[in-house]
Amino acid sequence: MTTSPLVEPFPETGIQPFTKEPIRYVGEDGLPVQNLPAAYTPERLRELHAVMLRAREFDRKLITLLRQGRTTFYAQSSGMEATQVGLAHSIRPGHDWVWPYYRDHTLALALGVPMFELISQVLGSNSDPSRGRQMPHHFAARKQHFVSISSSIANQVPPATGTAMAQKYLGTDEITVCTFGDGATSEGDWHAGMNMAGAMAAPCLFVCENNQWAISTNLSGQTASENIHIKAKAYGMPGFYVDGNDIVAVMEVGRTAAEWVRAGNGPALVECLTYRVGSHSNADADAEKHYRTREEVQEWLGRDPVVRVEKLLEHLGHPIESEERANMISAVHREVDEQVIRAEATGQPDWRIMFEDVYADLPAHLREEAAMLRAEQEGERK
Amino acid sequence: MTATQESQDVTAASGEPRTINLITAVTEALHEEMERDSRVVLFGQDVGARGGVFMATAGLQASFGKQRVFDTPLSEAAIVGAAVGMAVRGLRPVAEIQFADYMGPGFDQIISQAAKMRYRSGGQYTAPLVIRTPSGGGVKGGHHHSQSPESYYTHTPGLKVVMPSTPYDAKGLLKAAIRGEDPVIFFEPKRLYRASKGEVPGHDYTVKIGEAAIRREGTDLSLIGYGGVMPDLERAADALEAEGVSVEVIDLRSLVPWDKALVVDSVQKTGRAVLVSEAPRISNFMGEVAYSIQEAAFDSLLAPVGQVAGFDIPYPYVQDKIYLPGPNRITAACVQALNY
Repeated sequence: MTTSPLVEPFPETGIQPFTKEPIRYVGEDGLPVQNLPAAYTPERLRELHAVMLRAREFDRKLITLLRQGRTTFYAQSSGMEATQVGLAHSIRPGHDWVWPYYRDHTLALALGVPMFELISQVLGSNSDPSRGRQMPHHFAARKQHFVSISSSIANQVPPATGTAMAQKYLGTDEITVCTFGDGATSEGDWHAGMNMAGAMAAPCLFVCENNQWAISTNLSGQTASENIHIKAKAYGMPGFYVDGNDIVAVMEVGRTAAEWVRAGNGPALVECLTYRVGSHSNADADAEKHYRTREEVQEWLGRDPVVRVEKLLEHLGHPIESEERANMISAVHREVDEQVIRAEATGQPDWRIMFEDVYADLPAHLREEAAMLRAEQEGERK
Repeated sequence: MTATQESQDVTAASGEPRTINLITAVTEALHEEMERDSRVVLFGQDVGARGGVFMATAGLQASFGKQRVFDTPLSEAAIVGAAVGMAVRGLRPVAEIQFADYMGPGFDQIISQAAKMRYRSGGQYTAPLVIRTPSGGGVKGGHHHSQSPESYYTHTPGLKVVMPSTPYDAKGLLKAAIRGEDPVIFFEPKRLYRASKGEVPGHDYTVKIGEAAIRREGTDLSLIGYGGVMPDLERAADALEAEGVSVEVIDLRSLVPWDKALVVDSVQKTGRAVLVSEAPRISNFMGEVAYSIQEAAFDSLLAPVGQVAGFDIPYPYVQDKIYLPGPNRITAACVQALNY
């Protein structure tokens, strides 16, 4: 095959790299702008809608949890459901490997990470698989190959390349998927990792969840580049530009790019243009006052990815009735409540585990420090 | 014999003990570990066909192929980061950073990813990797080819930090680092690459990370160092012994974990300690050693703990040899402790 991934459409799906406008299947009004592939039956769309709505309501409930003082930090992904749920369909959970970033809990849910584990991590409870070591939202889930999240931005990009290089060396058919926000693309690590992946033809799918704000710096303040995906060209990989609020587009482009990577052609970059509707975190909850306008938020609320699927289903003659929707929402709220109670019941990790997992074995100096803390803690208890 | 020829002679260890230099010990360790475990891969800048600027990996690509020994783009962040990602996926990466001075761009990958992977994931993921890098001065390298940045890494829990000074230790510690389950920063004192010669066994062996070595026993003073300064400690000890002073010379070999018990025992016996390293003095790892000595052996001390370190200046090019703590400066510090 002589197709050049840098200019021509991919033969299987006709998807074009390096487009001027984001690739879209469904418009903001819910009407298809091109023929939907046959797989998107009303039943299938309803399933996707349910996963997105679940994530949306998970977000909403977790904000409540934060306001109740039961956790200390929350980074919403509301508005980014189509990007993350759509992307999950390019990943084989527990087979492919994921180096995520801290706003990927919708991706985690969509990959089958149990809500109980996510809530346990957010609460830092004893049932947290990461043992209460990290700030909320810095999950790790071994079973789904969802690698531990670092707070340093773009820090996961070179390691993702390394995991992909290992997969190539081991001769597996796995791929690595690495996600990041638009802000990450300003970091040296991003360029180092992308460049290495290109040079090494590593089977890594890079996904920019371009939600347009890195805390208070927007995309135009972040880069003078016309967009993110064109940077792929510099690293010798195809770059795709997708409407990240159109789940069909994310799934189709994600699948095309992932299959291309899986076939041994090297890495690819997908830029999903979406929007972070909420603040960066609870630390900047007054975002609209400081760095963006209410009008901008309103405009993007009109592009809501969950509503878009609802409009599409209505157009197809399979609407989700309001009572059904309300029932779905209350079911998620109940589920979150139950998991919170269950996670809180496990208590908090004991101070004794503080010294574990620093090294494979406990070295002498940590044995000494642990003994000192033990004396202090047990002395206080007497 | 060139380094390349030497490395081509490398075979799986068997037979009689041999005398080799430190860099050959490194090459042998890599060769034998790659032979032992197909998960071991080796990469960095120029490590492939050329065998690294110091030829530490010479001949390994010829022996193990380009899949296992390869050159990467010129990016320390990518080299270290890739090592993390490979280790997480189950390989045993050994990454070479051409000079320890160049680790800056890879620093965040070392401290945020490699060092914390096990802890932050609650043990769900680990990053058993080795970063090898030549460090220290004495080769007229100026400040970007001569620094001793080990203290930065000793300050980060989760990393092991090792610096051998003999071929025996270089080989045994590097093998232990590759076989271990933790990330290891492996500093190689470049001025000893060919200057340090010694015997290595003809059989497979490892040196446990975290144990110091007593190079010579003595009763009047404990002279403690690691890495490139060790031959100067020996020279100072020779000079003092000629004057009738019995010096115990200790090579720490690894800084994290470090052998506090051995050092404290020694100082309790001798009553005096002089600590030597070529890194700048402020926040020098030896400050930790001095603190531990006064904490655990205060009653045994007959004199304040002495320290000979590099100066708190960027490493100078022209004054290369003057900068380093040589035998004279070390001897003077010992005399001061003895006459206190």
